Formats: sequence, C-alpha cells, structure tokens
Amino acid sequence: MKSEELSKLLEEYLDSELETAEQELFARYDRELEVPPFLWTRVAAHTVAENNKPKLKGWSAIFAQPLARVIAVLLLAIAVGIVYVISRQPEPNKTVAGSNKPGPTQPKISEPEPEQKKTEFVASQAKPKHRVRRTTNRTPADQSDVWSSDLAYLDIDEQDTARHIEQTQNLLRSIRNVPTTDSDEEIDVSYDKQLSRRLLNENVVLRRDAEMKAKFPTKTLLTDLEPFLIDIANLPDRARPEDVRAIKERVQKTEIVAALLDYQNPGTINR
Amino acid sequence: MSALAGTLMNSSADLVTRVCQGDSDAFRLIFERYSRPVISFIYDMVGDRALAEELTQETFVRAFRAIHTMRAETKLSTWLFGIARNVARESLRARARANSHVDLADKSVMDLSDNKPEPVDGLLSKELNELIRRSLAALDEDKRLVFTLKVLHQCSYEEIAMITGFSLAKLKTDLHRARAEMRKRISAYAGVGYEV
Repeated sequence: MKSEELSKLLEEYLDSELETAEQELFARYDRELEVPPFLWTRVAAHTVAENNKPKLKGWSAIFAQPLARVIAVLLLAIAVGIVYVISRQPEPNKTVAGSNKPGPTQPKISEPEPEQKKTEFVASQAKPKHRVRRTTNRTPADQSDVWSSDLAYLDIDEQDTARHIEQTQNLLRSIRNVPTTDSDEEIDVSYDKQLSRRLLNENVVLRRDAEMKAKFPTKTLLTDLEPFLIDIANLPDRARPEDVRAIKERVQKTEIVAALLDYQNPGTINR
Repeated sequence: MSALAGTLMNSSADLVTRVCQGDSDAFRLIFERYSRPVISFIYDMVGDRALAEELTQETFVRAFRAIHTMRAETKLSTWLFGIARNVARESLRARARANSHVDLADKSVMDLSDNKPEPVDGLLSKELNELIRRSLAALDEDKRLVFTLKVLHQCSYEEIAMITGFSLAKLKTDLHRARAEMRKRISAYAGVGYEV
C-alpha cells in the first residue's frame, strides 16, 4: 500500500516536473509570426462596408433571414390551401321541404314550378359550426317561388329583414289596437310615430337590397309596408282619431299583419 | 490618474460597448490587442502562415458583425478565441489536406539544417520550432485545440471549456493524451532532461 502511494506521489512529482520542463520548452516556441499591417486595413474595409449596409428594422429584419422567409412562404401556402379547400367543400344536400306535398298551409302567392321547388326549399338542419356563406348559383327567377322560408335566417341581411318585419308587425298591431272613439280627444301616437320613422328608413334600405338581390317576394312585402309606415310617420304627435282610424281600417282591410306573420312563420296562416 | 482613467476607458468591456455604439476606433484597439494571440492560435491550428492571416481577418470581421450579441459576462478574449476556433475548424474541414499528418519516421525534420555555420542555439531553436509545429499538426483536431489553448496560450480549463464547448473531463483526457503524444515526438529531439 505504501509503495503504491509512493509510486503515485512519484508519478505526480515527475509529471509536474515534466510539465514544468514542457512549459519551458514550449515557451521557447517561436512561430516567427507577425501581424501584417495590411490585415487591419482589410478588416477595416469590411467593417466600413458592414456599417454602410442599410440596416433593416422590424419585420424587414425578420424576413431578411432565410429561415424566416421560408417559414413565411410555407405559412402563406398553407393559408392559400385552407382557403382553397374551404371554397371547394361540397354544399350540403338540400332537402326539399314539402315540395312533393303541397299542403293546405302552402303559401298561395306565386305558385312555384316543380323544377324550381326541388332546388330552393331547404329544410332547417343542424347548422355547421363554422358558418360558410353559401355560394349557390341562383338566378333571379330562383327566388320567385319563395314567399318565406328558413333561408331568411341564413345570412345577416335576411336576419335584419326578419327583425324589421317583426318590429313593423308590432307597430301595426299597436296601431290596429288603438281605441278610437267618436269623441274629439286627440290620440298620443308620438312613440309610434318615432318608431315608424325609423322603420321607414330601414324599410327603404332593405327594399332596395332585396330588389338588388332579386328577392322579389321580400321586396314586394316591403313595398306593401311602406305606405303604412309613411302614414304613421306623418301623423302629428297627437293625432286626430279619424286619421288613426283610417290607418287602422287599411291595416285590417289589407291583412298586412297576417302577411307579415306569414313571412315570419310560413305556412301557419290560412288565408 | 489620467493613465488609470485611460486604462479603465480602454477595458475590454468598455471597448465592446463603444464598438456597439459605432466607435470604429474602439474596434481597432480590440484588433491591436488581440490580433497577435488570435493569429498565433489560428496558426497553431492550421499550420499555414498565409491561411492564418486570412482566417484572422475572417475572425475579426465575424467578431465585428456579432459583437452586439456578446454577453456582458463573457470575456472578450475567450469570445474571440471561440470565433477563431470555429473559423479554423471550418477551414480545416473545407480543405483537403493530403499531408496533414506527419509520420514519426518522417526524416524531413532531420533535414532542416541547411549546413550553414549557425550558432548551435539558433539552429536548435529553429529546428525545435519546426518540430513543435509538425508535432502539433500531427495531433488530431480536438487534442491540438486543447493542447494549444492550455499549453501554448495558458488558458484556464474554464476558458477552454467555453471556447471549445467540451466537458471538463474530455478536456483533461484530451490534454493528457496530447501531452503524451507531444512528449513522445519531442523527447527524442529535446535531449537530456526530457526523457520520461
């Protein structure tokens, strides 16, 4: 054991002596190397060139990197691919709602032709999570047979129309239910007047929109509504009973409220 | 006092800061301070004078480009040696070196004398320099790197680890083997007192 320790110590001593000797030897190592004066000139030329390069900032700096450029191109390609796939998705099968059995509740206005029926009525189905605006090749004539349907809820415009119809219906109901007596007392219709003015503006916009999109039944309904809204909007805040009564009678006579209700809930009104 | 202030102003960290602020004179000072050790180190690695100059230039150009990325806690010399090591390694791998290894039986070492009457010390020194250079070239790259940094440039193990990225254990092993190989090659020539 002792001899091993001694051997180890001797080895360490010899190593350290050797390293010292080596160090002395290598300290004498002369590479005969000088830094040539032109070296700095060359380095300086590069550094000046580096400084004169236009420095890119922000996104430009990021996209100047080759990897970033590749990633950007890949992302763009993926985005284009997704858009392409979405646009190529087949339309869900449309089911014909009641096209084979025109029941008694079918609207009577503009009786549809059999061929058009097959393509137009879409029964309400479970809607897809991601709502994709349907791009159907509808011709203006396609809508001619539609008086009302769930299609009205498929896009924002039609939702607006439905809301407008509902509010107008409420207004007309309100006017229809105003008690009018033969007494000379004026009736306060200021709220109805204000509402009518707003609905009149809305009606004009929606009618034009329906006309442009060839939604003729909707356009017809809104056209029919307009005189009522104009009359109510032109009433004084405190209207004479006979003026209100005249409007009431026209509302009842033309069954405009029923038409509105039928537009909202197709097939529920027997006329 | 002004000398002290000047020294403080020209500390490595200060020079780096000044370069980052666009002071080209500061980079010149860095070059003057470190070009000699860097060119020596590269020469030790590649064994070619002209190539060492070229690679030193490349090292400093790269250093200039990347100096703003240098971390504050990093020692400038270590950082520069790290770049120099990468530059040298790329060069070594790029070029095909048919005569990269010197056989121990290579007698060219012995033929260095030009038979001119030279002082013994001068001749010995010249031959020794050539022998060391050739022996270094005969080491494999990792051992040469570690040996050069530790023995010829007196770097600490921590510095070598930072420059090379090697673990401490590998450093010590490579250094031990490099020393043994160098000893073996030089002992025959170095003469008395150098035998194991």
